[in-house]
Amino acid sequence: MSYQNENPISSPPEGVSWEAELKKVGFLRRILMGRKWYKVDWWFVVISSFAVLGFIIVAIAPGLFAPYKPDVLVGPRFLAPNEIPQTSVLIVPADSGITELKDLAVPENAARPQIGVVSGFSTAGDLNTQSQVIDEELKNGTSGLRLRPKISRYASLDELLTALKNNEINAAVLISTEFDQVKNKYPTLREANTLTGESVVTHGFPLGTNDIGQDILSRMIWGTRIALIIGFSSALISLFIGVPLGLFAGFAGGGFDRVLSLVMDSLYSFPGLILAIAIAAVLGPSIMNIIVAISVLYIPTYYRIVRGQTLTVKEEVYIEAAKSIGARKNEILWRYIFPNVIPSVAIIFSVNVADAILTGAGLSFLGLGLPPTIADWGIDLARGQRFIQTAWWMITFPGMAIMLVVLSFTLLGEGLTEIFNPKLRDR
Amino acid sequence: MSDNILYSIKNMTVEYKTRAGIVRAVDNVSLDIQRGEILGLVGESGCGKSTFGKALMRLHDGPARISAGELWFDGRDLMSLPIDQMPQIRGAEIGMVFQDPMTSLNPVQSIMDHLTETILAHEPDSSEASAKIRANELVEKLGIRHERLKEYPHQMSGGMRQRVMIALALALRAKLVIADEPTTSLDVIVEAKFLDLLKELQQEFGLTILLITHNIGVVAEVCDRVAVMYAAKMAEVGTTADVFANPKHPYTQGLLKSVPNIKLDEEELFKMKGEPPNLLKPPSGCRFHPRCPFAMDVCFNEEPPFEQVAKDQMASCWLYSEKAKGKKLEAHHG
Repeated sequence: MSYQNENPISSPPEGVSWEAELKKVGFLRRILMGRKWYKVDWWFVVISSFAVLGFIIVAIAPGLFAPYKPDVLVGPRFLAPNEIPQTSVLIVPADSGITELKDLAVPENAARPQIGVVSGFSTAGDLNTQSQVIDEELKNGTSGLRLRPKISRYASLDELLTALKNNEINAAVLISTEFDQVKNKYPTLREANTLTGESVVTHGFPLGTNDIGQDILSRMIWGTRIALIIGFSSALISLFIGVPLGLFAGFAGGGFDRVLSLVMDSLYSFPGLILAIAIAAVLGPSIMNIIVAISVLYIPTYYRIVRGQTLTVKEEVYIEAAKSIGARKNEILWRYIFPNVIPSVAIIFSVNVADAILTGAGLSFLGLGLPPTIADWGIDLARGQRFIQTAWWMITFPGMAIMLVVLSFTLLGEGLTEIFNPKLRDR
Repeated sequence: MSDNILYSIKNMTVEYKTRAGIVRAVDNVSLDIQRGEILGLVGESGCGKSTFGKALMRLHDGPARISAGELWFDGRDLMSLPIDQMPQIRGAEIGMVFQDPMTSLNPVQSIMDHLTETILAHEPDSSEASAKIRANELVEKLGIRHERLKEYPHQMSGGMRQRVMIALALALRAKLVIADEPTTSLDVIVEAKFLDLLKELQQEFGLTILLITHNIGVVAEVCDRVAVMYAAKMAEVGTTADVFANPKHPYTQGLLKSVPNIKLDEEELFKMKGEPPNLLKPPSGCRFHPRCPFAMDVCFNEEPPFEQVAKDQMASCWLYSEKAKGKKLEAHHG
């Protein structure tokens, strides 16, 4: 036949024509169209399944990955990612018996101690604050001692330490890391203690600390567990309730179908988050309640999709053909209708897990989800929101965690559907 | 009942409940299907021939039901069987091939699964391995390569799928295969091959085939006997040779004249006047009388009996009825 070669509409399957088309479009569209042009779905699935697997492993054993417990106060507040905290330490001559700032206190009328700092650092402020605290204690005490140091400012570290070596001043206050660098030059000086008496934190935190000094990375890792528990359980519960209801309603029809559809539609007509808020508010904050609230939200989604699909599939010729080869009602429902309905369920499930994680985070964000002691991304978001201008890392990293999980689940779901549905396989 | 008859349908009526009223898609139809024959069932679209085919398996649900009649299949009255025992008959004794092979297979099952599942559904005692062996033998006879058994319906062509449907019907050695317009969606070359295959299988397995079609050419090519339906009634039944050479019913005559023929040098193709009747309000008397060139008074008022009009040929027309001989003959032309 002569018209065999004409095929004007088909997309360019091979060669370089898609490359030419690529140049015409923007980056976002390129990613979207990539699946059509050069079949990148395969990569989507691999990458997202690794991501999902990673999240699951982290959720199973967060203790292996997190450096700290989520509720431990590990260091200074509001520490930026990887910022090494500046601890002020007290430097004294090696032969003096001073072990902490308090030891510098003198009687009311004696000469006030001279303490040197390098100007331009936070040390002077720390010294002032801390000595006022100690002085207040002493004033109320019975010892008669006071701590009102004279603060001398020096232009450089060397000047300060030389002055201390020559006994011009009684002590010096330095950033701990700076003293470590010049320790060897001044063998007659030693580090007495930190100003506050707490131990020195000499390392930073990869993602910084929050407003009460908890490690954000650890909280994120522990939060994975809660997020996945909420996401999976609520999506599974609504699946196990919604899918059978939809199947039976679509297959049986009649009054059962009508009543159930009415109930589901009225559930569906509520705005999602509002309904979840209402349920969660009534039940009170706990993981179980949040799961119940979210699953109620998604049952109608499964029901409607599955019922609609069942109604469509039920009328297909192959169902009639199945009857004509002697298939029974049970077989038709589970062997013929169910497998043809399940691809759409798989899509909803993956998107649903993602959505449930979002809703769970939203509830926690509003303070309705979980008790605030639990490490949860939503709670962290809510907390970080108050400090968004001073500590961007508090809200950014939990937000990214939520986005990554949601994205991986969605991509995995979409990709898997295309792989497992034989109808789509050859496209 | 003669042993020669596989399926005897007696006075069957199938009704559809619609909003506009009750439609009788098959109205008081009787037909005998003989063992080992290919019986063609022809008629216009909407004359009830597909409904008739499905009713033979009691495959109706929803608005349709068989409201009257007896279905004697191989010595058993299927109408007296409880409906939940019908799945044992379907597939095992009566198979069906549907019009559109593109949609009549489950898209998420491989061909092998289709075959083995059908075998296992009816013979729960046989093992999966033996079912697979049988499936392999079967497709070999039908000209499908073994490798293709793993494939899914969408990977096969229309002709292949129709063969798979036949294989499904043959998997359990069905005695009767109802083929509902099996070649309508196939091109002529595939159609010819498929018809050859049907004939071969009929001879090899001693199959009985009810071929429902609106294609007179197909009937002439493969059928031993032909039944013509018009407006839910049986118009004429006879051997293909008799009916084609000497059609009795005016409808059959018109039908045969309206087939394009390259040998006859007619300027315009014969067109039957009028339109098929609305089955909600069928014409009184003989349903064909508004279109019949030989319509008589009696045709307006009384329904003609379905009776023998020649050797091996039955028709329902007053023209051949002894009863009408005494009445006044007056042709209406219009």
